Amino acid sequence: MPRDEIVVGLEIGTSKVCVVVGEIKSDSTIKIIGVGEAASRGVRKGEIVDFDICGKCIREAVVEAEEKSDVLIKNIYLGVTGAHMQSFNSRGTHLLPEERDEITNEDVEAVQEKARDISVSSHNTFLHTILQHYYVDAQEGVINPVGMFGKKLEADFHIIHGVASRIKNTIRCVKELDLEVEDIVFNPFASAQVVLDQQQKNIGALAIDMGGGTTGYMAYLDGAVEQSGVLGLGGDHITNDLSLGLRIPMAKAEKLKIEHGCVTIGNSEVGDVISLRDEHGFAGKEIERETLNTIIHLRVRETLELLKKRLIADNVLDMLGAGVVLTGGSSMMRGVKHLAEEVFGLPVQLTRAHNMTGNISAFENPKYSTAIGLVKYAQATFELENKGFLGSIFDWLVSGRK
Amino acid sequence: MIEFPRATKIHTPRIRVVGLGGAGGRVLERIIGEHLEGAAFVAMNTDANLLGESSAQERLQLGVRGVGAGGDPDVGYAATDESAATLRESFEGAELVFLCTGLGGGTGSGGAPLVANIARQCGAVVVALATLPFGFEGKLRRQQADAALAELVKQAQIVLCFENDRMGEFVAPTAPATQAFAMADTILCQAIRALASIVNGRGLFHVGLDEIVTVLRRADARCLFGHGESDSENRAVDAVDRALRSPLMNRGTSLAEARDVIVHVAAGADLSVAELGVLMGHVQRHAGGNARLHLGVASDLRLGKRLAVTVLSATGTDVPEPVRKAERKLPVPPVAAAPAPPVFESDSEQELFDELDEPESAQPAQKEGKKGKAEQMQFEPVNRGRFEKSEPTIVDGQDLDVPTFLRKGLRLH
Repeated sequence: MPRDEIVVGLEIGTSKVCVVVGEIKSDSTIKIIGVGEAASRGVRKGEIVDFDICGKCIREAVVEAEEKSDVLIKNIYLGVTGAHMQSFNSRGTHLLPEERDEITNEDVEAVQEKARDISVSSHNTFLHTILQHYYVDAQEGVINPVGMFGKKLEADFHIIHGVASRIKNTIRCVKELDLEVEDIVFNPFASAQVVLDQQQKNIGALAIDMGGGTTGYMAYLDGAVEQSGVLGLGGDHITNDLSLGLRIPMAKAEKLKIEHGCVTIGNSEVGDVISLRDEHGFAGKEIERETLNTIIHLRVRETLELLKKRLIADNVLDMLGAGVVLTGGSSMMRGVKHLAEEVFGLPVQLTRAHNMTGNISAFENPKYSTAIGLVKYAQATFELENKGFLGSIFDWLVSGRK
Repeated sequence: MIEFPRATKIHTPRIRVVGLGGAGGRVLERIIGEHLEGAAFVAMNTDANLLGESSAQERLQLGVRGVGAGGDPDVGYAATDESAATLRESFEGAELVFLCTGLGGGTGSGGAPLVANIARQCGAVVVALATLPFGFEGKLRRQQADAALAELVKQAQIVLCFENDRMGEFVAPTAPATQAFAMADTILCQAIRALASIVNGRGLFHVGLDEIVTVLRRADARCLFGHGESDSENRAVDAVDRALRSPLMNRGTSLAEARDVIVHVAAGADLSVAELGVLMGHVQRHAGGNARLHLGVASDLRLGKRLAVTVLSATGTDVPEPVRKAERKLPVPPVAAAPAPPVFESDSEQELFDELDEPESAQPAQKEGKKGKAEQMQFEPVNRGRFEKSEPTIVDGQDLDVPTFLRKGLRLH
C-alpha cells in the first residue's frame, strides 16, 4: 500500500452534495484534509432525478474540495442509496472435492457465489455481500477458514442489492464529470463504519442515518451486519409537511424547521407563537409552536416506528445491547434523541464520525458521517489488499470482525 | 301504497339526479351543463325563488310556504314531509338516485334523510353526495350537519361526504371563495358522471349496480372515491395515480384497509390487455394483498385517446341495520306525518340486505377504531409538492409522501 494514500468520498445527498478528501496514514489513521459541499438540486429521496442540474452541484462540491485540500480529484468512492435497495441474509454451502480437504481461497469464493445464488429480480444487482459467520463442518466461530481442514464450508452473508439501472445512472452522472468511480457503497453501510465502534458492533447496535430524503439503517449483531435497509423518508418530508400544513413556501418551512422545530410535543405553552417575517422584515404570519412541533413529531415518530416494525419482524430489536446510534443531518433536530428512546425503548446516542484527525469542523457534524464513512470504507479495502487477501473477502473486514 | 314493478319502467330514465336545497341546486346546475346519459334532473327546494332560477326539467317545491327553511332542519323536514307524495311520484321508476345536497342548513339537513328514505321506498338505489359546512359557518351548522349525516348514512345506500374545510386546503389560501366552492362542485360532478357511466356502461366486464351496492354497503355506506383521466404514454398508471390523488381517496391510505375495491376503466377502442394488467397491478399495490378487486371495463369512444379510471371502495366494516323508516332524533314537529314503511316489490332486495347483514354482524368489534378514522373524509393537495418527480414511498398501502398529520386526520388550527 502506498503511504499516505489520498481517497475521496462523494455522497450525492438529497439536501447536499458532499465531497470528503481523506489521507490514510501508514498507521491506518485517517486525516480529513478537505471537505467540499454544495446545496443539492435535482435529487429526490436519495436518487438523482435531474442529471444536468445535479451534475453542476457535484462539480461545485468537487471544486471546493479540491481548493481546500489542494488535491486534484480523479477517483472517488461513491455512496448510493434509494428506497429500491433491499437486503436479505443468505447461507451458502460448499462441499470440498473428494481428493482435497484443505480449504482454499477458491472455496471461500465458491461459498459466496452460492449464497448469492438466490433469485432476486433480474433488474437488480448485488452491491455488497457482507460476511457474517463461517462454519466448517458445522463448527461455529470460524474466523478464517482458509487453510483449515474440513469437508463442508458454510457461510452466512448479508446481501444488499438494488435496481441496476438506477445505480448505473448515478455512476454515469459522476463519470460525465471526468471522475472515476473506484467503488460504490451503500450509504448507511458507509456511515455505520464511522459511527459505530467495534465493541458496539459486537454487543449489537443499530445505526440510523437520518438524511434529507432517506433514512437508512444498519443493524449489527455479534460483530456482523444483521439487517440493513433504507426508507424513502427524511427531512424533506418534514419540510413538505410543514409547507402544506402551515401553508408556507418550502424555503420558509425549511428555515422554520431548522430554527424552531422540535420533535417532542407538549413542552410549549398555549399562545407560544413564532412570527414569520415577510420579505420586508415586517411581522407576517404567526405560527403556534405546538402546531409546528406536532407536525414534525408525527412524521419523525412514524418514520422511527416503521423502522422499529422492520426490526421486530426480524427479531433484531431485542438483541441490540449497545442501543441505537443516530447520525445524519436530520438527527440534529431538537428532541430526536428523546423521541427515539421513547420509540425503541433503548438507549440512544447522537453521534458523528469518530477516530479521525484533521479538520474538526468536518467530522464534528453528523451530516458528514456518510461521506467520511466512504473514506473509512476505502481504508478498509486498502488494508485488505495490503494483507494480500482476495478482494472477495474484503467485506469481511469492513463488517468489523478482526 | 303504490307499487312500482321496476322491470316495466324501461322507458323512463333510470337515473335521477336530485339537487336538494341551495348547495344541492348549485351542483345540479353544473351537472346539467354536462351530458349525462339517461338521467333526469330534479331540483328540490323550500325556497320558491331559488327554485325558479333552476334550469332542471323538474322542479319540486317542498312545503307550501315557499320561503325557505331559514337554516332550521326541523322546518326543512316538515316541508319535505308535506311534499312526500309528490316526491314519491317523482321517483317513480328510478333505479338510481343521486342526491346532492349541502348539509348544515335547513333544507339539506332536514330534508335529505327523508328524501333518501322516500327514494329507497320507491326501489331506487340512493347515492347521496353531501358537503359539510366550512368551519367558519359556526358550530350550530356543524352540529346540524353531523346529525343530518348520521341520519343520511342510515337511509342512503352510498354516501359520499365532502368536507368544505378540506376543500379550502385544496385551493390556494388567497384564492377567491368561489373557487373553493367550484372545486367542490366539480368533484361532485365527477363522482356522479363516473358512477353513471359505470351503471350505463355496456362494457367488456360489467360492474352492476347490485355489485356496487354490495361492496359499498358492506362497509358503513361511507365510501372512498377517486376518478382520474390521462392520455399520456403511460396513461394506465397516470390515470390511477390521479384517481388515488383525488380528495375522497386519502391517496390510498384508506385503500389499504378496504376489503373490496371496484375499479372501473373506460377508454376508447385502443385499450389493451397489457394496460389493464399494469393498471390493476398498480391498484393492487395500493390496496394491499388481501383486497378483492372488482374490475369493470367499458368502452367509450367519446374519450378518444384518454383513459378514465374510477376507483370506488369503502372502509370500516360496521354497517347499521338497513333502516326502512325515517327516524328523527332532533325534536320533530308533529310526528304524526311520519312516512309509512317502505314496500319492497320483490323479495330479492330484502334478501340482499339480509344476506349482507350476516357477515357484517360477524365482524369483530376491534375494527371500530378504523371506522372512526375512515369517517373523517379528508382532502389532500392535488400537487405532491416536493415529491412531484419522485417515486411515491408506499408502505403497507399508505403513500407516506402525504403528510403524516393529514393521514392521521389531525386538524390544525
